[in-house]
Amino acid sequence: MLIARNIHVTLGSKEILHGVSASFAPAQLSVIVGPNGSGKTTLLRALTAETAFDGQITLNGHDITQTPAWKLASMRAVLPQSTVLAFPFTVAEVVRLGQMGGIGAGGPDRTFDALHRVGLQGYASRFYSDLSGGEQQRVQLARVLLQVWQPISTNGAPRWLILDEPVSSLDIGHQLLVMQIARDFADQGGGVVAVMHDLNLSAMFADHMILMRNGQITAQGLVREVLVDDHLSHAYGCPLRVGVAPPDQSTFILPQMAGARA
Amino acid sequence: MRWLALIALLPTTLVAEETPRVLSLGGAVTEIVYALGAGDLLVGRDQTSTHPAQAEALPDVGYVRRLAPEGILSVDPTLILAESGAGPAETVDLMTGAGVPWVTVPSGYDAAAIPAKVHVIADALGLEDQGDALADRIETQLAAAQADAANHDVSVMFVMSLQGGRVMAAGRETAADGIITLAGAQNAITAFDGYKQLTDEAVLTAAPDVILMMARAGEHAINDAAIQSHPALGATPAAQNGAIIRMDGVYLLGFGPRTPDAIRDLSRQLAHSVKEAG
Amino acid sequence: MVAFPDNIAPRRAIAVRVRSVLWVALLACCVLSLTTGATGVTLWDALVAAVTPAELPLAAKVVLWDIRLPRMLMAIVVGAALAVSGAVMQGLFRNPLADPGIVGVSAGAGTGAVIAIVLGSALPFGLASALGPWLVPLAAALGAWGTIMVLYAIATRRGVTTIATLLLAGIAISALAGALSGVLIYAADDTQLRDLTFWGLGSLAGATWTKLMAAAPLMIAGLLCARPLARGLNGLALGEAAAYHIGLPVQRLKRLAILSTAAATGAAVAVSGGIGFVGIVVPHLLRLISGPDHEELLPNAALLGASLLLLADLISRVIVAPAELPIGIITATLGGPFFLWLLLRGRALMGG
Repeated sequence: MLIARNIHVTLGSKEILHGVSASFAPAQLSVIVGPNGSGKTTLLRALTAETAFDGQITLNGHDITQTPAWKLASMRAVLPQSTVLAFPFTVAEVVRLGQMGGIGAGGPDRTFDALHRVGLQGYASRFYSDLSGGEQQRVQLARVLLQVWQPISTNGAPRWLILDEPVSSLDIGHQLLVMQIARDFADQGGGVVAVMHDLNLSAMFADHMILMRNGQITAQGLVREVLVDDHLSHAYGCPLRVGVAPPDQSTFILPQMAGARA
Repeated sequence: MRWLALIALLPTTLVAEETPRVLSLGGAVTEIVYALGAGDLLVGRDQTSTHPAQAEALPDVGYVRRLAPEGILSVDPTLILAESGAGPAETVDLMTGAGVPWVTVPSGYDAAAIPAKVHVIADALGLEDQGDALADRIETQLAAAQADAANHDVSVMFVMSLQGGRVMAAGRETAADGIITLAGAQNAITAFDGYKQLTDEAVLTAAPDVILMMARAGEHAINDAAIQSHPALGATPAAQNGAIIRMDGVYLLGFGPRTPDAIRDLSRQLAHSVKEAG
Repeated sequence: MVAFPDNIAPRRAIAVRVRSVLWVALLACCVLSLTTGATGVTLWDALVAAVTPAELPLAAKVVLWDIRLPRMLMAIVVGAALAVSGAVMQGLFRNPLADPGIVGVSAGAGTGAVIAIVLGSALPFGLASALGPWLVPLAAALGAWGTIMVLYAIATRRGVTTIATLLLAGIAISALAGALSGVLIYAADDTQLRDLTFWGLGSLAGATWTKLMAAAPLMIAGLLCARPLARGLNGLALGEAAAYHIGLPVQRLKRLAILSTAAATGAAVAVSGGIGFVGIVVPHLLRLISGPDHEELLPNAALLGASLLLLADLISRVIVAPAELPIGIITATLGGPFFLWLLLRGRALMGG
């Protein structure tokens, strides 16, 4: 379990999170949604001990502020929103960094398996900086996957994928690919926590949803419990309807219908 | 046995039969070696040893304060005559280690300093008699030059450089101070020792009657216009009256055999510029 | 799984091949350095003297063992220290333009050295005499350490260093350090002044066994500290947060990197003055040839830095023999244009 109790985060003189409590279960894909500035990313940074916080967060029973980096790294991997590299590393060199931390070290080289998984086979010797933003994002995902290659560790504890807007710079095809990877990870027993903007994709793949507004959780639970008109309208500050198709002939595309026959 | 002991005690004097190979470091040192008639013994010199003209044909081992040990050994000297301040210390130590005697010629900025230098150099070369003669001659010339110089009752500021509009001037305990005094004038700067940068206000307060500089070519040359247009220097009596004197640096500041001439030269020019002003 | 051509092996293999070439080059440079000089003494003479009853003349012995040998060793450690410090700083700041000289660390080390030279005798408890020849290198290392700490505090936000802030902070720190040195130089007496001018121009001419013994241990300690940093610096390329997430002890890594750079740069500056551009040229060249992997980059940088400085020193010794050119002039003449080229190339890449 990944459990956060009464989390407060203050950046400068401004309190960003006002007492957030949430728990995330393994074998589930949990998403954190909410409008810009609602504290989604700050919550994610607290969950990964990247930012200082008041309160308590435990990962598989370990207090994350008391756990050394190498041990955390063996339990969870974190995908940042975007990563700029200062030096001309190749794709394979970047991905391989995922294996240096702990669990993968010394094991078989899965660099190419990881690249294959994110649809970047044949990219191994390309320079990272030459890739598009979306391709770079998938290289980073491959690196992160390599770090927690087995969703369940040898002693039976779940591993975790923590993803910060994993599909933000991807086209719809690759959005589906990445969400499927996260889904599979959860289906194999690992835990996934993702900050998402896209409500449709979230609805399609997630089990559990946290809706945030102004540094607090306004709703959490199963996706169909959270994604209701009232919650959304309140959180996003505009009237929203769930599950209602536009009345006229306007064009819309839903990821849910990808692959369906016309 | 006593004879042997004597040789051991005098490592810097020469065993007669071998002709020494002498490296001279310092403009005045080189001039004195030539004045002693020992110019043939020289195998090398430093950057400032440019007089007499035949010295320039010798290999130049570089700046006297930044001497490279191997550069010195490459001219294969058996004796090194160096003005005080030659170095760095590491190089001096290595020469001693290599068995090459290093004789430091004392510095000093008064009339007595030059004969003292002559004696040290002459002794090192084993030319005591020539040394006595040269020292006597220079002493006589110095006394005569000083007598002629009389008292000018003018204050002189020696300007070393004018970098970025900042005046670097000579205080006490400098060769410039020494030659100004010997020429019968007063150094306008007595507040500090050595060469230092002056504020504009200090320049105005010093109010020199004459500005003295080294004659230089190229970018370091400071022309009269630069002085007259300088906010502080331009307002001094010296600049107003055009009392600006330039002389060759080694000649003026070397404190060697040519110093008596330099005293006369400077004295004559001081008298001239003061008369012009008056 | 599908078989993919392994691409890391080629770059690794290149780096390993480069390393063998660099070892040979270093050896050649050493021989050249011992054999060449203003005097005609050669290594061959020494070898002949060693196997025949003929004794080597005293002057020749001094040239070989007391002038050329300590100088050669000094060039090796200083070159390695500067090149590796450059590579480590670039890794730490995640910025290929970070160089101890350019961002003011050398200036900070210089100020430390100047303070030690001018004010050393004023230290309490006979500290100056207790430290002896170690005083100046240690003070320089402290100066370098202080400068890096200030730089890091100023130029790095959330583990990201902007190049503009870094360079500007470097200019400001250099100016400050220069001003402080200026004040001290004004207060210095004549002997101290001579020490200072000699040292400021950057030269290995003063390399003696004493100086080597004083400064080399610090530089070697810095280099040894750098070795285990290699993997961490690779991870740090992802940014501080990501480096932490892949399991690196980021704070310890940073502290060690700063200490290593400070010791190596400080001691190098203390004995050789301002020798610029080695720290930027060497790592950059190697990255072009065999990639940025620090595990290969750091040892190769040490070798190439040592060879380059040996060559530069050789040039400085023979070009105006029997006089000498300060080596800083040689490295600046070679490195300056390279740095400008880097900037132009970077501008083209960043489109700014």
